[in-house]
Amino acid sequence: MIALKNLTIGFDHELFSVHDFNFEIGRVYSILGRNGIGKSTLLRAIAGLNSPLKGSVLIENNDIVNMSGKAVAQKIAFVNSNPLGVSHLPVDEFLLLGRSNFTSIWGAYSKDDLDILAHTKMLFQIEHLGMKYTNQLSTGELQLCAIAKAFIQGSDMILLDEPTSALDYSNKRKIYDLLLRQASEYKKGIILTTHDIELAFKYAFKFLLINSRSKTLEKISSFSEAEKEFLI
Amino acid sequence: MKMSASHKTLFVISGVFLLILSCLGLVRGEVQTSLSDVQEAFFHYSDSDLRHIVIQEFRLPRVAMAIIAGASLSAAGMLMQTLFQNPLAGPYVLGINSGSSLLVALGTLSGISFFSTEVGVIGSALLGAFIFGVFILLSSVYLRNQISLLLFGIMLGSFVSAIITILQVTAHAQSLKAFTLWSMGSLQAVELRQIPLILVVFVIAIVLSFLIVKPLNILVLGEEAVKLMGYRVKRLRWMIVLITALFTGLVTAYCGPIAFVGLAIPNLSRILLKTQRHGVLLFANLLFGALFLVACDALIQLFSNSMLIPINGLTSLIGAPFVIFILIKKLK
Repeated sequence: MIALKNLTIGFDHELFSVHDFNFEIGRVYSILGRNGIGKSTLLRAIAGLNSPLKGSVLIENNDIVNMSGKAVAQKIAFVNSNPLGVSHLPVDEFLLLGRSNFTSIWGAYSKDDLDILAHTKMLFQIEHLGMKYTNQLSTGELQLCAIAKAFIQGSDMILLDEPTSALDYSNKRKIYDLLLRQASEYKKGIILTTHDIELAFKYAFKFLLINSRSKTLEKISSFSEAEKEFLI
Repeated sequence: MKMSASHKTLFVISGVFLLILSCLGLVRGEVQTSLSDVQEAFFHYSDSDLRHIVIQEFRLPRVAMAIIAGASLSAAGMLMQTLFQNPLAGPYVLGINSGSSLLVALGTLSGISFFSTEVGVIGSALLGAFIFGVFILLSSVYLRNQISLLLFGIMLGSFVSAIITILQVTAHAQSLKAFTLWSMGSLQAVELRQIPLILVVFVIAIVLSFLIVKPLNILVLGEEAVKLMGYRVKRLRWMIVLITALFTGLVTAYCGPIAFVGLAIPNLSRILLKTQRHGVLLFANLLFGALFLVACDALIQLFSNSMLIPINGLTSLIGAPFVIFILIKKLK
């Protein structure tokens, strides 16, 4: 579980604040908000990539600033908005980088790691990509692989920055289906940012809106509440 | 470290070639010797036998240095290419050995006798490589483009050679001689008694490299990925620069500049092994790098009766077209 306490998000100036909010496992949270309002910044603060201006992020009641990088990595996986393919890097090798916290000092994999790899590839329906190189994948395939790598990491929470921004409709649906399934079947807590509001509302996500007037993060439950923010 | 069967085959074949070429380097030369002479020179050395002296004093240091220099430069190149996420990076093109040259020049040409001693030259070379490594690292923040980083390194090299030229003009005859001898550099400049110290630095650098194999694997995905897996990015960067300086400074101190090995061999290793696992890549770079330079040396010895090709000339002759090949592939 991740708790945000009196958080103020921003770089040099304040963007918005979060009074008190808990992210639970087993659910998918979708953060909505206008361009540049600080969705990614919030996500990166939760992942410990940049520190908030004020307040604290608690991971199972431990303040993230007091945790070691390894401890954070065991609890949180982060998926970038546009993962890049790397030449000479096969998909299997890319996915197994998610196991780095479990492999030996040389990065050698155990039987367990390979079993988890096989299971995850089946779950994500990417068995056929294993021997391909990451720079040969389509945007959709690469995005799927990046999410699979986060899943393989074995952390409770998975944070995704606009996971569907570069994808077509069917791939978007595929990703949302998968995320919902991971949350309910594998008890992952998933936090994502998105601009696909209409599509996202078809799913049983929890919705959070960064309100541009009150400059706070608020829970919303209906599409019309989101529309109010985006249509003025 | 698990290896696939095809990697193993490749390593065994390369290992055999390295062994054959190394033996050839010990046996062939103006003084006729045989393999049994080599064996005798190692185990029953007699300082009255010319063949033994030639093998131990001339050929062994040369072949050993070819192996060490080739392996070192290739490993350094691999580290720099991963650090900058740039296949065009390497110790020579980024001017790391220019740093060594500059400090050795400043030291020896200053006329202070300490800097002309063996320890002084090695110390200057290692320090110079490290300073320039840090300089490139700090500058790389502003050089996001792969080719501008390369241009920056080449400009750095030109700048340093200009300074060295000016230093040479103003230097005293005695110190100029010491520096010129060093800067001509070749695999033959090393003496047998120096090999143990060289080996110590070489082994330390290899051990340190193997210790950071895992974060290097992740670094391929970017520095943010390294941080997200819980590693300290800054510490990793410093570590890479330190190891690169050890490898490059060591080679430059004893052999002078050797171009393109550190750029070409890491690319070749990735193309042949089709992996980004740095444990395997590091091993491959050490092996292929050694093999490449021993082969270059064998080629030089083959023509040594008619002309003596400098090692740097030969590696550039082979390496520069290879870099152009990579450039064209990248720009396409």
